[in-house]
Amino acid sequence: MTVRGVAAVAGVECSKLLAQLKLRLLLAVCAAAPFGFAVVVLIQTSLPTDTLFGRAVKDSGLAVSLVILGFAALWGLPVVSSIAGGDLFSAEDRYNTWKSVLTRSRTRMEIVTGKLVAALGVSFLAVLVLALSSFAAGILLIGAQPIVGLSGVLLSAPDASVRIGLAWLSVVPPVLALTAVAIVVSIVTRSSAAGVGLPVLAALAMQLLALIDGPELPRRLLITSAFGAWHGLLADPPFYGPLFDAMLVSAGYAAVALFLAYRTLRRREIGG
Amino acid sequence: MLEYSLQVRGVSKRYDGIDALTDVDLAARPGDVHGLLGPNGAGKTTLLRVVLGLVRPDAGTVRLLGADLDAGSALPDAVAGFVDTPAFYPYLSGRANLALLDRLDGQDRRDRPQRVDAELERTGLASHATLAVGGYSAGMRQRLGLASVLLRRPRLLLLDEPTSGIDAAGARDVRAIVRQLAGDGAAVVFSSHDLDTVEQVCSTISVIDRGRVIFSGSIGALRAIAPDDCHVLRTSDDGRAVRIAGSAGGVRVMPGKADSLVVCADEGALDRYVIALGCGGVAVRHLERRARSLESLLLELTGVPSAHPVPSPAPGSVPDPSLAGA
Repeated sequence: MTVRGVAAVAGVECSKLLAQLKLRLLLAVCAAAPFGFAVVVLIQTSLPTDTLFGRAVKDSGLAVSLVILGFAALWGLPVVSSIAGGDLFSAEDRYNTWKSVLTRSRTRMEIVTGKLVAALGVSFLAVLVLALSSFAAGILLIGAQPIVGLSGVLLSAPDASVRIGLAWLSVVPPVLALTAVAIVVSIVTRSSAAGVGLPVLAALAMQLLALIDGPELPRRLLITSAFGAWHGLLADPPFYGPLFDAMLVSAGYAAVALFLAYRTLRRREIGG
Repeated sequence: MLEYSLQVRGVSKRYDGIDALTDVDLAARPGDVHGLLGPNGAGKTTLLRVVLGLVRPDAGTVRLLGADLDAGSALPDAVAGFVDTPAFYPYLSGRANLALLDRLDGQDRRDRPQRVDAELERTGLASHATLAVGGYSAGMRQRLGLASVLLRRPRLLLLDEPTSGIDAAGARDVRAIVRQLAGDGAAVVFSSHDLDTVEQVCSTISVIDRGRVIFSGSIGALRAIAPDDCHVLRTSDDGRAVRIAGSAGGVRVMPGKADSLVVCADEGALDRYVIALGCGGVAVRHLERRARSLESLLLELTGVPSAHPVPSPAPGSVPDPSLAGA
């Protein structure tokens, strides 16, 4: 396996992904939705008070990014992960193109790794676009006023901005882990519907499980718990324990998923 | 210089308890055009899948341009091929598909557009280059498949039914390309049901039946081992003629082209059959000896293998195209 080979595969996969309407649509939604949300906040009288930082959205544009992050962690990011990873491999089964791809000058390891890099890159790109867009929407449409953190302490705009950036960064590991899960589901089932749908359903099921009373450890092992680890960053002083847990859990999910992905594809025979 | 571009030794493959390939040997030298013939399900495509690394053999070895093919390894740069109908991304144009495959090969991107366009031109797809492949006909996909393998400038080319679904002009182009590649020193192995193409372009052939190579050598050598002459027969009642053949010894009758029958028999048996037809009230309107076609030879080899045993390569050996079948 060579870096050049992996880069060639990743480049090809990125070209294919960007040529697809669904990915362009996903990125467009990530870019436009925060502005739509900010406009709705401006024109309506009630506030999303049941959401973290929902009460603050009219007082500080910075809260817009945090509200969107909270909502995305529940719904949007699992969907982004699944769309990025759930179709990349099974599309080769659907179009019957494995035989075209595997008869070029690339090893199977290079092909799998290149596709992984592309899928993870697309997931990261979607999170980045959503983060930048939500931040810009809040600042441009509402303003960069100071915001009250989760400990009740007023955070200056620059301080809050840094923390918000780190909060968005903290959801990258679970997004990548869930992308890896979507990838392995799509490889094993050879179905894009399963690859996209099952990880989303699994994420929803984990969120329901998290609501059930029980021991703490299983709850911390749920990948969806990692999506909420950023809360500690908005406290004063910030606490980082959940972030480390989230990184470990994400790494665990990703490692298992990628091992299964490599193993399955290495053994696969491309029959008729 | 390599003696063999392709060497397959003792390859076996089993699927769900069925032997798809059994101890198959195959060899092609630089400049050879080697045809793979056999009925549907004989194992031709499975063999090509093994050679292209898409399927792992249960036993045996494959050497491509002198290098062993390992599981999961990349296909050597100068080896190319396709199996079944070539498949592409339907939402991309033919040109974009080729460019992606060229990029996957790691070729120099500076002259990629020229290289891609040259192969599109060579395969007759230049005017459809910007159309999405989803709108291509089966023949156009076949041409695009050929263009995609030619991009690799192959010294060993493996093609599965390359003229399938292509019109007469396209088939002629394929034959010309194959001849040109072989003339430049490449080895070409292709499976085909298009026997005319095989007879026109192949220097050697292998006949596969039920996963085994039952003949490997030149077409001339195959003809030499054919046991009986065949005749074209036209009668006043083909149905009765076939029934009478059933009771006549040493005669085999098969449907021929254009309301005719093909009769395979030695001279004595043929004489008795013609007399029996007359006695049975069937008029013989036309009886003509013809050179044995590859088609009837193959039917004989694969249809009644036990009646006419033919030489097969020795176990574990690579058949020498210049000697096999002799």
